[in-house]
Amino acid sequence: MKALAAAALFLGSAALAQQPEAKPLEPGRENLAIPYEKYTLPNGLEVILSVDRKLPVVAVNVWYHVGAYDEQPGRTGFAHLFEHMMFQGSKHVPDDVHIALMEQSGATDLNGTTSFDRTNYYETVPSNLLETALWLESDRMGFLLDALTEKKLETQREVVKNERRQGVETAPYGEAQEKAWQALFPAPHPYSGNVIGSMKDLDAANADDVKAFFRTWYAPANATLAIVGDFDVAKTKALVEKYFATLPSGPKPKRPDVKPVKVTRETVIRHDEKVATLPLLSMSWLTAPYLKPGDATADVLATALSTGRASRLYRRLVLDKQLAQSVDATQQSHGAQSVFTIDAVARPGVTTDALKKEIDAVLDEVRKDGVTQEEIVRARTRYDTRQLAGLQAVGGSGSKSDTLQTYNQFVGEPSYVAQDLARYQEVTPALVKQFATDVLRPDARVVLHAVPPSQGTPPSSGSGKEAR
Amino acid sequence: MHRRILTALLTLTVSACATTKPAEAPPAEPSGAQQPQTPAPDAEAFRQTPPKPGTPPELVLPTFEKAQLDNGLTVIVSTRKELPLVFAGIAFAAGVSQEPASKLGVADLSYRMLLEGAGKRDTVALDNAFADLGVSPVMSVEPDGAFVGARVLTRNVDAVMALLSDVVLRPTFDAKAFDRRKKQQLGELVRRMGDPNFLAQQAYYAAVFGADHPYGHPSGGTPKTVQALTLADAKNFYVKNTGPRAAALIMTGDVTLPQAVEWAKKYFGGWKGGAVAPKPPPAPPAPPREQVRIVPKPGLEQTVVLVGRPGLATGHADEYPLELATTVFGGFFGSRLNMNIREDKGYSYGANASLGTRLGVGPLTAYAAVRQNVTGPALNEFIQELAGLKTKPITEQELAAAREGLIRAFPGAFETVEGLGGSASRLFFQRRPMDEFKKSVEGLRDATAAEVQRVAEAYLDPASMQVVLVGDPLVIQEQVTPLNLGKLTLVETPASDAAPASK
Repeated sequence: MKALAAAALFLGSAALAQQPEAKPLEPGRENLAIPYEKYTLPNGLEVILSVDRKLPVVAVNVWYHVGAYDEQPGRTGFAHLFEHMMFQGSKHVPDDVHIALMEQSGATDLNGTTSFDRTNYYETVPSNLLETALWLESDRMGFLLDALTEKKLETQREVVKNERRQGVETAPYGEAQEKAWQALFPAPHPYSGNVIGSMKDLDAANADDVKAFFRTWYAPANATLAIVGDFDVAKTKALVEKYFATLPSGPKPKRPDVKPVKVTRETVIRHDEKVATLPLLSMSWLTAPYLKPGDATADVLATALSTGRASRLYRRLVLDKQLAQSVDATQQSHGAQSVFTIDAVARPGVTTDALKKEIDAVLDEVRKDGVTQEEIVRARTRYDTRQLAGLQAVGGSGSKSDTLQTYNQFVGEPSYVAQDLARYQEVTPALVKQFATDVLRPDARVVLHAVPPSQGTPPSSGSGKEAR
Repeated sequence: MHRRILTALLTLTVSACATTKPAEAPPAEPSGAQQPQTPAPDAEAFRQTPPKPGTPPELVLPTFEKAQLDNGLTVIVSTRKELPLVFAGIAFAAGVSQEPASKLGVADLSYRMLLEGAGKRDTVALDNAFADLGVSPVMSVEPDGAFVGARVLTRNVDAVMALLSDVVLRPTFDAKAFDRRKKQQLGELVRRMGDPNFLAQQAYYAAVFGADHPYGHPSGGTPKTVQALTLADAKNFYVKNTGPRAAALIMTGDVTLPQAVEWAKKYFGGWKGGAVAPKPPPAPPAPPREQVRIVPKPGLEQTVVLVGRPGLATGHADEYPLELATTVFGGFFGSRLNMNIREDKGYSYGANASLGTRLGVGPLTAYAAVRQNVTGPALNEFIQELAGLKTKPITEQELAAAREGLIRAFPGAFETVEGLGGSASRLFFQRRPMDEFKKSVEGLRDATAAEVQRVAEAYLDPASMQVVLVGDPLVIQEQVTPLNLGKLTLVETPASDAAPASK
């Protein structure tokens, strides 16, 4: 206890404020700017404050810079399992109090989520409950292990296994898509499989793992606290100081050094689909990490291919040839490497081979001619509107606090919106063409045929090796 | 155990101190926090007491304003000016419940044809016109109505209104587009049969309302009824059921009522049509349970559990007491049901209950997806928790938590223009007054403990709860038979008999 008090004395003085310059936004985009203040406590905790008085609510949003990426082989799903433990009580917060207390206070957007790259915890509370939210967040940041028990871990392990059953084993195409992802990122790559992990690894997790994980990754030096909404800046700074400044912290942990992976030949996966009733064809490629050159180009192409009825893939597969129920192209941006995916669900009686042929035809068009300037402009207008819409809510997924946190995690600059949107300004038809030719190569993709039993045998076509 | 944790904490603390480099410490400035002269026995003792909440802020409720054009069109506006964004669209008062029994699926097909060509534009041209404005139009077809609209930048509102005017007033109902749309809908019926949650929902509506009731089926129809639908059916449904007296222009966000009325006149002032808003569907009976319905999905690793009965029509005197009772039972994460099934037993990723509000009587539903080999014990806990509302009456503390939580969440639940727009549509579908949210707060505040306990016992009585299970039929049979909840009945899925052939 003495050591703790000494630490409090040592670390508890005023923080150094630092305010990086945000790039000005182009005329017409001023509303996208988010005024904020960022500083770091001596224990390494980053704090981002942004006042928004439109409603008497405040979002408290904590990002720990740890995700599935930081797990050890044989310990998949751990970051997410740990996320569950963070709601189970801490030294000064009795079990089951956190969520119940927040709910009865009128909190909205109350949750925690885990991705490959980070874990976040958030709640939006009536403005008079800000201190309560800070009390709860600081207690689990500083004192989680004091209240950890084997029984709690056992129960949450079961809850998470049910979450996996719900999202993977009993969800249409859940297991099929997991196989495709494992082919893109073969184990022991930390992106292999699902963030939620495998049943085997979940079974193997023990309380010592939880403790080690907490000590390594859940230190203030590896976290960023964002407070966005209707609050008094000076009083809030004092509260942040009170609740967080005495939490001890070591240096910021070093994330693992993982070499980029490459797919060098076409991998074809045949999956006997047991849940869904219609065949799915899915093609995926490894692409540039989030915000790195090529990522925006991939976004634009995904939009041109499948957003709206006039998009290229929808027109050809759904409207003209009537072979698909739906088609979806996405660039899933992640910190280490991203994945560009095209998914198409077949009409009853249509084979996945027929879908593959048509998708290839559309990709060949893009490889030959790129997309039009008009399509690029439409995509940009959509991103502008979407970006603005994300600023409506102070908390929760895709909100103002999430936007600040996202940019902060990936570029260390919470207000990166001008630079982000400028990326799309630089996308040209030629760049899209080059991306389709160089990156979306037939010999660098994973092709998944997920076929229900009633739809005949999965095809054995494909020039590459057969996986599974 | 405690000892080990304490040691761990001490180690952690010491190492944190040791690794903090003095050189990085800021100059000692006692400007901010007061520094104690001598270390207190436990400097962190203040954490033991939760902070006292300050004075609650004034409850900011969403406000809605209404006007009416000469042709009968309702205009509903909720103004929020912070960002240059508007959500705009048309809400139609006729929904899935207005379908004739022989033409199930026609509402969905009919409304979806609106975005398949309008004015002088075909499907693709119409979509491109929206895309040029940065807009993806949304369409929803629900039991009590339908909505078509978009979220748009303020500077593009006029252009979007012009497009919506074409969509609503001048849909082309092109024959070729209809054939394609119909095939797509038939395909959707096959696709949904793969989703355990959809299978559950479909059987549940039939169990709770009766298969012939207007609320007794989900939207989309059956393969048989959709196969038989013609272009004339789709067009007739639209012409017969829609018109300015059965529709509302919804605008929320950076817009005022006078502006909205101007737009309404400009783009919808010439709308003619005799349809009036339909009557609420009749109240179904809530008979005692005689059977447990099983939708077979062999090999499924979880069982989807739905337990419920008809609830209330919106505006019923018991609505707010029952909302509170349902919240205590299963509405919050910290409710009795979830804390039992998820947090205590680990049977499920989560269990919840909700009172669905509709123009007619909506469903009162409890749900969980549970590990297949605990289907019996989990279902038993559902029944025991329902029965427990009588044997362990709702406590003052439980009631206060539900009341405060529901009321205090109002401001945070209305942050977005699309959220406001969805609420405005529901006000219109359910014929509620513009100050509905003020009334909700009063209703939740004024419901007495006695009323809440009375409605809990009356509506959440396990004996009148229908049970639908989706999963492996053999496992379910083995697990559920010992519970004696009624005979086990296998439910035939309407689409399983006819997978429509495609080209």
